[in-house]
Amino acid sequence: MKKKILVVEDEEGLRLLYKEELEAEGYEVLTAGNGREAIQQLETGRPDLVILDIVMPVMDGMEALGRIVGKERKVPVILNTSYSRYQEDFMSWAADAYVTKSADLTELKKKIGELLGKGKAR
Amino acid sequence: MILAGGRGERLYPLTRDRAKPSVPFGAIYRIIDFTLSNCLNSDIRRIYALTQYKSISLNRHIQLGWNILSAPLGEFIEAVPAQQRIDEHWYQGTADAIFQNIYTLQEERPDLVLILSGDHIYKMDYRKMIAFHLERGADLTVAAIRMDRNLSREFGVVEVDGDWRMIGFQEKPEEPRTIRGDSEGILASMGIYVFNTELLVRRLIEDARSDSSHDFGKDIIPVMIGKDQVFAFDFRQGDCEDTGYWRDVGTIDAYYEANMDLISVTPQLNLYDPQWPILTYQLPCPPAKTVWIEEGRVGAALNSIISNGCIISGGNVKRSILSPRVTIHSFAEVEDSILLERVDVGRNARIKRTIIDKEVQIPPGTEIGYHLDEDAKRFTVTASGIVVVPKGMKL
Repeated sequence: MKKKILVVEDEEGLRLLYKEELEAEGYEVLTAGNGREAIQQLETGRPDLVILDIVMPVMDGMEALGRIVGKERKVPVILNTSYSRYQEDFMSWAADAYVTKSADLTELKKKIGELLGKGKAR
Repeated sequence: MILAGGRGERLYPLTRDRAKPSVPFGAIYRIIDFTLSNCLNSDIRRIYALTQYKSISLNRHIQLGWNILSAPLGEFIEAVPAQQRIDEHWYQGTADAIFQNIYTLQEERPDLVLILSGDHIYKMDYRKMIAFHLERGADLTVAAIRMDRNLSREFGVVEVDGDWRMIGFQEKPEEPRTIRGDSEGILASMGIYVFNTELLVRRLIEDARSDSSHDFGKDIIPVMIGKDQVFAFDFRQGDCEDTGYWRDVGTIDAYYEANMDLISVTPQLNLYDPQWPILTYQLPCPPAKTVWIEEGRVGAALNSIISNGCIISGGNVKRSILSPRVTIHSFAEVEDSILLERVDVGRNARIKRTIIDKEVQIPPGTEIGYHLDEDAKRFTVTASGIVVVPKGMKL
């Protein structure tokens, strides 16, 4: 069965890019435009992994991260952001990986492979 | 960070309208005043009290009574209600309460976090425990006190080696590991922890992401004993009373006894020590007074604590504790009792071994504490025969 990834990203262009690239890798991709939508998708879509932007409207990624680990304790989360300073935030330590955004998705794909390969997924 | 959300269910009905840390104690104090005073007397001036359940009374007390530090110097005592930023439920355990307030910790980014309970009565210099923590290079230090082994089911039991390094921890065990050379004693965790902040955060996150009851005693401490530097601190080294006084006052009977100790000639808990003042909030009140001295009508209080604003008008008070603004009318008798704020005892009423919560008017001629079968129909009566009249009850 295809592994399911939830991409949480407020920029529509980026969201589509991630969706296409990850589908090409053989994953099923769900999307959400902010933290609150992500929480809903977590319940309805049951993803195997979450890629989470931090700076987003309505509910930012850091707050969503706290709620995600509280609800779905085992689902791995990759923080994906343009800013490295969020690594200073205590809550960011709850993420399984921290990836700095880049047009080249090699690093992100590598982390996804590691986390889903670890047998952490459902 | 003071965990101040305790429900205190066994203190019902004193906890009907307030959380346990907000329960009045010793005539003018609230239970949390002892922990807060310990902090200030230990020069700890950045304090969050984490509240959740029935917190209005506690929040008000902290705002009115403890708004005494200097914000420009970075000092504060702040009541933090459960914000539900992470989870919409009440805190699941003591560790969850801190995890849910990880943002609060983030704001301060201290090197060390002292975690306390707002439920206990004792006098302790936390600086001594912190010094011990630093000396040992500990990641976590847990304060421990000797208790009789037959009480083990009420406590987390700490096991240490000769250097006070923790080598075991049992949560409320039937068969406790006793102290070396003292087979009748156990070392009980007092729920007082010093953590290195960074490690605390990492362990809390791991715990939040695992199937756990999210409790320091049940989950965090046992995990840390295996992989981190964990020490126990002997309470006697930090006890400011030198008597080992530490009370949980978890039940009405324990609450009653701890209060009554205060009217003995030399109480185990000294409230009069200028070196370790216990602060509280008190509404300005006029001084206490007694009136009437004539044949058969004497206003008097003996072996008792009488707070400001009390008027003992021709009635008789023995071995009792009167909170502010209590009135005792003529020919009334109050013995071995605890009367909280604004209780009014009418003429000829007789009160014995009774706790009367705030704002109760006792009608003239009422008897409470003399016929326990009758009392039990209206009030809470404990196994040892203490009657409790709830706050504001209409009689």
